[in-house]
Amino acid sequence: MAQLTSIEPAIRATDEEVQRLCEFLYRRTGMSFSIDKRYYIDRRLAERIAVTGSSSFQSYFALLRSDVDHEIEHLVNAFTVNETYFYREEHQLHCLTAGVLERIVSTRPAGAPIRIWSVPCSTGEEPYSIAIWLLENWGQVDAFDIEIVGSDIDTRVLEAAISGVYGKRALMRLSATVIQRYFEPIGPGEYRIDPGLRDSVQFHRVNVVDPQQTAAYRDFDVIFCRNLLIYFDDASRRLAAENLYDCLRPGGYILLGHSESMSRISPLFDVCRFPDAIVYQRAEGGHDNQ
Amino acid sequence: MTTNSQNGAARLPGRVLVVDDSSLVRLYFREALGRAGFAVDEAINGIEAMEKVLAGDIDLVIVDINMPRMDGVTFLRTLRRSSSAAAMLPALVISTEAGEDDREQARAAGANFYLVKPVSQEDVARYAAALTGLPR
Repeated sequence: MAQLTSIEPAIRATDEEVQRLCEFLYRRTGMSFSIDKRYYIDRRLAERIAVTGSSSFQSYFALLRSDVDHEIEHLVNAFTVNETYFYREEHQLHCLTAGVLERIVSTRPAGAPIRIWSVPCSTGEEPYSIAIWLLENWGQVDAFDIEIVGSDIDTRVLEAAISGVYGKRALMRLSATVIQRYFEPIGPGEYRIDPGLRDSVQFHRVNVVDPQQTAAYRDFDVIFCRNLLIYFDDASRRLAAENLYDCLRPGGYILLGHSESMSRISPLFDVCRFPDAIVYQRAEGGHDNQ
Repeated sequence: MTTNSQNGAARLPGRVLVVDDSSLVRLYFREALGRAGFAVDEAINGIEAMEKVLAGDIDLVIVDINMPRMDGVTFLRTLRRSSSAAAMLPALVISTEAGEDDREQARAAGANFYLVKPVSQEDVARYAAALTGLPR
């Protein structure tokens, strides 16, 4: 999951140490964390080292092995809380095709562009999920020029998104049929996304708080911005929300995470209550965001 | 991506070239055709499509109209005027253009059939089967 700024851990474990840690977690919990997910692991591990007041990886690992204060559970939670997977928020995807897009295309000629932005997109599960969901569930997928963009501040997650390689856990919500259609098994528990699907999503780095960076992002019909604004302080949150407002086409929609409410952040958006989700809309005529 | 790739002796029910500039649309048609047993090749515009049909081994072309570099109508004209055996290939146009003029232009350029998007995956497979002369 993207953060406002890239945080360099004060204590960084070596590859061998991370390997030991992963092996230990696997033995104790059966959960397999692959060393190639270092961008998840480093950050979460650094948080736990800091929270437990450990002075080094070695001292933290000793504490973990003794499971002091249920540290194994804390670490596993930290490792998985923001790990994303395909079809994670299925109700929002359902809302996209059953509500949001139906409204958008009701006034748009066939062949017109429809622009969808997933930010932060992390390692690509969300924008690829949108593409798969549209292929599987939206009968008009061929009738519009659909552009899907995934952005994140973290170039490491973007590289992973572009490589399109996922473990079994990321695919746990997908049916066997969908996996067979859009993924190719490339090793034990590892799958590569279909090249056609990969080409359907463009990935770019962006910091949504910076209006200079978001200036290149305009005319989006739908923005998925889940669990990003919660990382910000009030001022940054409002700035980010209003940058995103400018990125939307008038009448465009933004979907946030469960615990987020745009009404508490910025007065610019209208609330739309669809059966599957609450969505925020930039008014057709548009408020003037100055 | 090519699905159901088989050798020449076991090529039934045929190989379809899908020509569309949208990778999502190509994927949508590829899935429809793949499920119906077709092998599928893809091209992103008329120029790439010409290269692929001239290389041979294609039984049907499904082509969009609006594409960069070479549109579907120009592709059909070029294909029909070529001296290759591929000049006679059946061609199904699937386009968002619904006007009578667009249909007429495509027909004059050599389209055998014209469908307006959105087209269901079942219909893509059904028309592909009909145009390749296969019972479905």
